[in-house]
Amino acid sequence: MTPQTLLVFAILWTANIALAASPQDLLTAYEAKSAKAVPARGEKFFNAKHGKEWSCASCHESPPNHDTNHIVTGKVIKALSPNSNQARFSDPAKVEKWFKRNCNDVLGRECDAQEKADVLSWLMTVK
Amino acid sequence: MKNYFLLSLAALLAMPVLADKAPIPSDAPQAYETECASCHMAFPPGLLSQRNWQNIMTGLGKHFGSDASLDAKTQTEINNWLVKNAASKYKYSALAPDNRISKSAWFIKEHNEVRAEVWKRPGVKSAANCMACHKDAASGGFSEKNVQVPAK
Repeated sequence: MTPQTLLVFAILWTANIALAASPQDLLTAYEAKSAKAVPARGEKFFNAKHGKEWSCASCHESPPNHDTNHIVTGKVIKALSPNSNQARFSDPAKVEKWFKRNCNDVLGRECDAQEKADVLSWLMTVK
Repeated sequence: MKNYFLLSLAALLAMPVLADKAPIPSDAPQAYETECASCHMAFPPGLLSQRNWQNIMTGLGKHFGSDASLDAKTQTEINNWLVKNAASKYKYSALAPDNRISKSAWFIKEHNEVRAEVWKRPGVKSAANCMACHKDAASGGFSEKNVQVPAK
């Protein structure tokens, strides 16, 4: 990792709601730690089950361009696509928190930077 | 004497109303809404015992089948607030099995007329989904007058 990418991450990570990032900022940061994102691969990843009970789409539905309901509790989940919901992918700490939790639920492990980059790049195309 | 009688009468009349109210204390940390209420209703802390809340807050990595982990600071903040506001009334303060409000003796008794099929309706989905039937649940209102069970 170059000092520049480290700096990008440092800025993104210390950023909070007051210092918002854009989906593109986040994508750039993930791609700095992986290969270039492939949206089609992200879409497939999002819709697939990964050895456990749920996929990402179990709660977010596909395409995730509208409010949905939590598969267990029924609680409303706001649209995930940043084109449908501007609050999405604007707070790096929040994004990392939810990737950690939800990847654990769906895959039984954390997602790597490539997986996050792929999914995010696809979500950015969802209208 | 007359005043005393009226006061007692007023207290008696107020009791069923109070029993149907379980509001969220106004000093709830913002994190309670953003962290806990993302996936389910912000449950009133007074519906579970201190011990139940502590069990829940130390097991967030596996929270009823989901990862609901928090950073240490937020975890402490929410834990302290839940413990401070945990059940004080005898009815709610017994240890709930599996740390589930819905497995408390009082909850089961209050819902004994609800058929198994009703809980499975898509509009209800889960016993954690209080708002499905209790229209004022989010503001702590659980009066039977405000119950509307979804037909589907």
